[in-house]
Amino acid sequence: MPQHAPRTGARASQSRLAQRPARWKHWLPALLFLSPAIVGLVLFRLVPIVWAFVLSFTDWRIFDDIVWVGFDNYIHILSSPVARQVLGNTLWFTAMYVPGVVVLSVSLAVVLNNGLRSSAFFRGAFFLPYITATVAITLAWRWIFSTRFGLLNHLLDMVGLQGQAWLADPAWALPAVAIVSIWKDAGFYMILLIAGLQTIDPGYYEAARIDGARPFRRFYAITLPLLSRSLFFVLILALIRSTQTFEITYALTNGGPNRASTTLAFYIYQNAFVHFEMGYAAALAYLLCFAIGLVTLLNFWLRKRWVHE
Amino acid sequence: MNDARLKRASVLVALYGVLLVYAAVTLLPFAWMLITSFKESREVFRLPPSFVPTLLFGPDPLANYTEVLTRHDFLLYFRNSFFVSTTAALGQVATCALAGYAFARMHLPGKTAIFALILATAFVPTEVTIIPEFLLMRGLGWIDTFLPLIVPSFLVGSFGTFMLREYFASLPNEYGEAARIDGAGPFRIFWRVYLPLARPALISIFVIAFINNWDELLRPLLYLNSPELRTVPLGLMRFVGEFEAEWALLMAGSVASTLPLILVYLLGQKYVLQGFAGGGVKG
Repeated sequence: MPQHAPRTGARASQSRLAQRPARWKHWLPALLFLSPAIVGLVLFRLVPIVWAFVLSFTDWRIFDDIVWVGFDNYIHILSSPVARQVLGNTLWFTAMYVPGVVVLSVSLAVVLNNGLRSSAFFRGAFFLPYITATVAITLAWRWIFSTRFGLLNHLLDMVGLQGQAWLADPAWALPAVAIVSIWKDAGFYMILLIAGLQTIDPGYYEAARIDGARPFRRFYAITLPLLSRSLFFVLILALIRSTQTFEITYALTNGGPNRASTTLAFYIYQNAFVHFEMGYAAALAYLLCFAIGLVTLLNFWLRKRWVHE
Repeated sequence: MNDARLKRASVLVALYGVLLVYAAVTLLPFAWMLITSFKESREVFRLPPSFVPTLLFGPDPLANYTEVLTRHDFLLYFRNSFFVSTTAALGQVATCALAGYAFARMHLPGKTAIFALILATAFVPTEVTIIPEFLLMRGLGWIDTFLPLIVPSFLVGSFGTFMLREYFASLPNEYGEAARIDGAGPFRIFWRVYLPLARPALISIFVIAFINNWDELLRPLLYLNSPELRTVPLGLMRFVGEFEAEWALLMAGSVASTLPLILVYLLGQKYVLQGFAGGGVKG
């Protein structure tokens, strides 16, 4: 989080209250430097945030008149079976994505931090999915998941396992989206965790080894507590990310079959830009925003209990 | 002694085993995309699947690539994506550099509040801001142009602003003082003294912004209607819609769309990893 900048500027200008023109000249360069960022902040952040909030209390199909409906959108979301299904899908996705990606990235980071000679190669390889073009690689996965001609079912068949209609089966479509998301993001969290691991003093491990602590115990007693700050950051990012899946869903399942893989972010897109229900979509978006805020706050509150400072 | 060495060796084997298995999982989709892109259009439906694509040893191994790039207009989509991503990323670097410098080294009452607003609003999800943004672009008459893809990314870069503010604040005052005594104005001091020192950070912001813009699907989907304006991700999605069975061609297009990113990543790997390790999330 940001530290506060030295405020000498503000104080110095207060003492020179009398010299108005001189003060104005003093600020002008800073104002010029900041103007693109301020225009961006107002036009693409502040105004949309307020605008969306106002919209969320209206019923507005983009070509009709705007009708003020109070809390109707929010009430409708909580009572509509479709919206409930979508919220359920979102929770299910989070429940798969967050533990999956955290356990995987911690394991990779710990294994790679053991000073193996080829770590750099593996680190590069594991990070590759994250920077790769999302739509392109998701389409490759869609082809791999194909029921009849897909590579995955072929490989499963070779080892004697039953293949699935991954993307056509309502039970498997959302897990498939989760698999691709975990596969794509694990390398990113791994990089953050390796940075955290490198701050741990090797002396601790040396001491533990002399005391005869086994690797498992060293992981629990040293690595986890000392890694908890990075782990906290990773957990927050993963939680936020888990509510915002769009590209992968769009390219893999388009929310189907039968809405089985439609999560909240994708449902907002559909309402706003397929059905043009701007008011309803804005209410859904604010619900998402509140949920993210709540989870983040909860995390910060829990932080005291498990993060080792 | 022998026992200890045996134990150490078995640990090494286990570690490498884990790494190799996961490396296979990571690279398999890339490999399969590559293999499929060299198959004939009916070969993709062969059972069991062939692992050695026929085109690769034929007279024209790149047939799928030339077809996708020329007959299906992907060359044009690449030009569009390059233009949009480069402009948007350069703009973001400029905005972030100016703002980061002003926040770190210039005087303006209320600048801390502005900075706090920039950071706080960065946590509001795109889903909230995209609806009014769409209405704004519609009102401005920017639909079906590149402007909605470029301008927001050009002017908003919370992470880059944060990163450069830290960076400029860490540089000593003496450099600027010396230049001021020599009669340099604020812009000159920024341009000639401090900006060159921030090169690594600027490169890392550019690369991350380029990757994010190259990857963007939502905005092209919302704002672009004309086929000749399509970016690569949008082109790929429209291609699936039209030619659902042409997996070999589609995979050729996918490989081609991944290559620039891998290239940018390899060239700027050091900067990218630094940038991302600093928490370089999208936005």
